[in-house]
Amino acid sequence: MIRTIIVDDEPHALDDLESKIKIDNMFNIVGKCSNAFEAIRDINCINPDVVFLDINMPKISGIEMLSMLDKDKMPRIVFITAHGEYAIEAFKNNAIDFLLKPVKADRLEITLARLKENHLPQAIIREAFPNNLKFVPCYRGNQDFLINIKEIIHVYSSPTTGVHLIAGKDAQEFHTNLMLKIFEDNSQLLRCHRQHIINPDYIKLIEKLENGLGKIHTYGNSTIPVSRNYMDNFHPIS
Amino acid sequence: MQNTLFLEHITPLLQHMLVFLGLAYLFTKTPVFTALVNNSLSLPDKVIIYLVFSGFCILGTSLSELSMQNDDAIANTRAIGAVIGGLLGGPVVGFLVGITGGIHRIFSMSSTIDPINYIDIACGVATTLEGLSAGLIHRYLSRKGRSEVLFSPTFVWLIAFIIGLGHVFTLLLFGLISGEIEATWNLEKEIALPMLIANSVGVALIMYMIKEQKKACDELSSNAIAWEIANKTASIMHTRFNQESSRQISKIIQQETRVGAVAITDRNTLLAFTGLGEDHHKPGSIISSKHTQEAIEKNKVIFLDGINKDYQCHLKKSCELGSLLIIPLRDDAINEVLGTIKLYEPKNKLFRNINRKLGENIAHLLSGRILVGRYELQHELRIQDQYKLLTTQINPHFLYNALTTISHITSKQPDRARSLLHDLSDFFRKNLETSSDTTTLKHELEHVTSYLEIEKARFENRLSIKIEIPKHLFKQIVPVFTLQPIVENAIKHGTSELLGAGLINISCIEQSDKYTLTVEDNAGLYTNRKATGIGLKIDERIKILYGNSYGITILCEPNQWTRVNIRLPIIKE
Repeated sequence: MIRTIIVDDEPHALDDLESKIKIDNMFNIVGKCSNAFEAIRDINCINPDVVFLDINMPKISGIEMLSMLDKDKMPRIVFITAHGEYAIEAFKNNAIDFLLKPVKADRLEITLARLKENHLPQAIIREAFPNNLKFVPCYRGNQDFLINIKEIIHVYSSPTTGVHLIAGKDAQEFHTNLMLKIFEDNSQLLRCHRQHIINPDYIKLIEKLENGLGKIHTYGNSTIPVSRNYMDNFHPIS
Repeated sequence: MQNTLFLEHITPLLQHMLVFLGLAYLFTKTPVFTALVNNSLSLPDKVIIYLVFSGFCILGTSLSELSMQNDDAIANTRAIGAVIGGLLGGPVVGFLVGITGGIHRIFSMSSTIDPINYIDIACGVATTLEGLSAGLIHRYLSRKGRSEVLFSPTFVWLIAFIIGLGHVFTLLLFGLISGEIEATWNLEKEIALPMLIANSVGVALIMYMIKEQKKACDELSSNAIAWEIANKTASIMHTRFNQESSRQISKIIQQETRVGAVAITDRNTLLAFTGLGEDHHKPGSIISSKHTQEAIEKNKVIFLDGINKDYQCHLKKSCELGSLLIIPLRDDAINEVLGTIKLYEPKNKLFRNINRKLGENIAHLLSGRILVGRYELQHELRIQDQYKLLTTQINPHFLYNALTTISHITSKQPDRARSLLHDLSDFFRKNLETSSDTTTLKHELEHVTSYLEIEKARFENRLSIKIEIPKHLFKQIVPVFTLQPIVENAIKHGTSELLGAGLINISCIEQSDKYTLTVEDNAGLYTNRKATGIGLKIDERIKILYGNSYGITILCEPNQWTRVNIRLPIIKE
């Protein structure tokens, strides 16, 4: 069975595609998402084999969403696009599959056949697009936010409550479905500890402790631990 | 000795001449003067000339009496009045002025002590002859069509000098007849030269002054006529430069200038012809006159006065028209000839100089009008273009999305799909129905509703819509595509960018003579939006139709709402 997630902000498009994929019983639809926020959460959670991804979605486009996924666990992506508004040429050059809306059954069959041949993670897709994180999807309670990467001070993960994010002048705290690794790989943020990532722009000073450990003081007057393994990332001031 | 005598005589003469000059100047400032600037004089005009210059004659005699130095004939400036009277008024007036001055001379210098003698008679006769001969010159030049020479200072001076010589000769002749030749000779020896000089110079100066004043006067009246034409043609040229407007304009120009005929052409065809020769100068025909072609090609004024340069209508031998002025209508900015205006006079009438100047003024005026008309036409076309642009901009994008949505639901909800197809065909039918630039608010709202039905199907519970417009405003006239593109933008750049539910609210606030339609979305993304220019175009159209106090304003509270206010006038039936 090929575990499949479909992402599209138009409900009928989602249903239509679902019913067409379902005809092939090799595919098991494990998730239906109507935006990138939901999709990131589900992909991280379910680790699907294939994602049918609409490009034109609110806040975060399908292409922007790519940079928010773990490249080591990247599912195969099939883009869905409307009236050729995105660079179809880029897809062709990089042997990336894409479907035009409305999706035609015979065209979908070809895509499904290809997926059945090879549904290994698709690393190549990440090279086809710029992978700098500019905005980070976050949530607090039931509310979704999109935080500019430049405003993020500090990201940390907790084994019990997931990934937390401190951002903005008043150092507000949010949750995010992005893993720490994504920040490390796709932004200027630096890892300083297995559980912590820091934005170097907010470092006031780095205090050297014994045993090669350190402590970062931010302009927000918080302190963040630096582990021995990551001390090389920084050039201590004192 | 001779020199002092000469000075003694000429000094008072020059003084008198200056008095005349002053008086003549004052005369040119009176309303009666304007009557004299016309080439064709009416009887009252002639009476005025007679009175004024007889007065000059009498004054000439009287002034010399005041400065009398010897008893008999004295140096005087009487001739000035007679000669000018003749030059301006023709032989009859000249003769009458001369004889009036002459009789006055005969009687004023005689008394019981000093009865009329031969020299008095001689002076009277000589003055009469002076007036008459000047008048004959006037007639000769008029008939030759060279009346303007009458005001040339050199020519007039020469004429006056020759006439003065005639005066001297007449006196000597009388002296011979009466046997007093020696006395006469002695007298003339003294006064002839000063008189010749003072009188001829005086006549020349006064005629020159009259010419200058006449020129100023011509310009004034040509401006007045041009102004009158400008007023009368203002509303006509507002439309187009075509046969109909040209016909009306040529008619007005002909009435105002009273020339024989007026024609207006564009670069290729005769657009209008009014006046003499209408029967064979047919509007709509291709320009065949080589003069007109030349005027257009070389961008120059062509004047065929019928005297120095002949004009003969090439269409019909018996055509009455005998002189022609062709003035190109120009677009000065790009130095392009737009057409010509042609003024004609019949063969029996002279082309008045004033009309030449006037013709140029009219051409200038008309060129301006044509350009304004052109600009307005372009402006109008631009609005139509915008309207077309709006319709074409909307359709493909929207149609694609609509058909995609319908194709998505066809299998599961065939009835819904069918009703959406109805909405879609309604939407396009309404597009087709809007042939004009404006429509009713009701029609526009129906258009929006058809559009929203389809968008709602696309977004389902991610989009909800509220429309609150009072029914009594439904009859109001609005520019087509005022509301729909704004609602489309509110979805495209607003609610469709929301993760949660989008809300579009279309409402209305009424004031006494205007109302404001508001399209509000709950996205508040206007600042992030790329300027599409559609709002700007709608705003421009509303301002063109209703003025600058109407139009579109956009308010935005980031991430909260965007409000597009469309302010329109309430048009009462």
